[in-house]
Amino acid sequence: MKFTKGMKLHYSKLVLGLVCCLYMACTSNHRLPILGERFFNGTDTTYHTIAQFQFVDQDSALVTNADFKGKIYVADFFFTSCRTICPIMKAQMVRVYEATRDMPDVLLLSHTIDPEWDTVALLHDFAQRLGAESQRWHFVTGVKDSIYKIAQTSYYATAMEDRTEPDGFIHSGAFLLIDRHGRIRAKYDGTKEEEVNRLIGDIKMLRREE
Amino acid sequence: MKSDLVSVRWTVGALLLVAIGVNLNQCAPADPKFKQYLVEGERLYVAQCSNCHQVDGKGLRRVYPPLAPSDYMDQNFDIVICAMKYGLTDEIVVNGNSFHQPMPGVASLTQLEIAEIATYIYNSWGRQTGLVEVKRIASLLDSCKSVRDYHQ
Repeated sequence: MKFTKGMKLHYSKLVLGLVCCLYMACTSNHRLPILGERFFNGTDTTYHTIAQFQFVDQDSALVTNADFKGKIYVADFFFTSCRTICPIMKAQMVRVYEATRDMPDVLLLSHTIDPEWDTVALLHDFAQRLGAESQRWHFVTGVKDSIYKIAQTSYYATAMEDRTEPDGFIHSGAFLLIDRHGRIRAKYDGTKEEEVNRLIGDIKMLRREE
Repeated sequence: MKSDLVSVRWTVGALLLVAIGVNLNQCAPADPKFKQYLVEGERLYVAQCSNCHQVDGKGLRRVYPPLAPSDYMDQNFDIVICAMKYGLTDEIVVNGNSFHQPMPGVASLTQLEIAEIATYIYNSWGRQTGLVEVKRIASLLDSCKSVRDYHQ
């Protein structure tokens, strides 16, 4: 088989194409997907966003969606008397808190799923002992059903009472990454160090998005 | 002269005994029972205790107290043993910091398992207490149970 002039040109195009691909792969920013249902209305796409909420944080301050407007935040569900996965989640969330210390546009939102036990005073003490500043890390409580509902329908996280469980609740150890528009961009296992490392990396990537 | 020789013999004998004793003591950690307690104790510690106290024993901020190091643990062996099975709700001071997150006990732990965990935590992170015998745990648990029942 002989190389013709045409084939040579073809090969050089291929090589050029490959180089371009490699260059783009190296320089282009990988984007996180937008999770959840989406609706199409003509050319417009509406994405799943976190529903309206109203909770009270460790300083007795009202916390609503407005506090997270234009902010990136990480949400989770826990309770202070939990002895299974929550202590691990909290140790990992402390890592996220430390890693985002110099990022005023990144907040943390921990919901208690045991509002009867976890009063504002108890959450205040817990947060303080963790070294969490209220402005950056909100520990919220509220009407139990509202917390369970937002967990399940907005954050797609499991949270409910179950008397057969050792601590009386079942809940996921998920950390949810929410963007500036209230959309879920990723979900992580908050009990695994390597997943939380990925979350910390993704926060930095998300901050670069417009 | 003869008595001198006898005393020299005694001295040498005594020195030999001391040497053997020291040697035996150094061999103690290699004792298979001790080793088994350490291995099982570590496994149980990771499964039952490390969620809060962390695998490295450092605890979490001022919520879950550290074991490594912990002056409280060094000074309150009995309370630590009771807490494993029956929990601890008192406020405690560890290395100068107060802690009051209630610790739930693990009621299902057997005397042997508690002896194994105790052997692990009291021979790790710079501690060298040696084997914690089940007998000692059994009598300790009896006394803390009666104290508990009295308060209830």
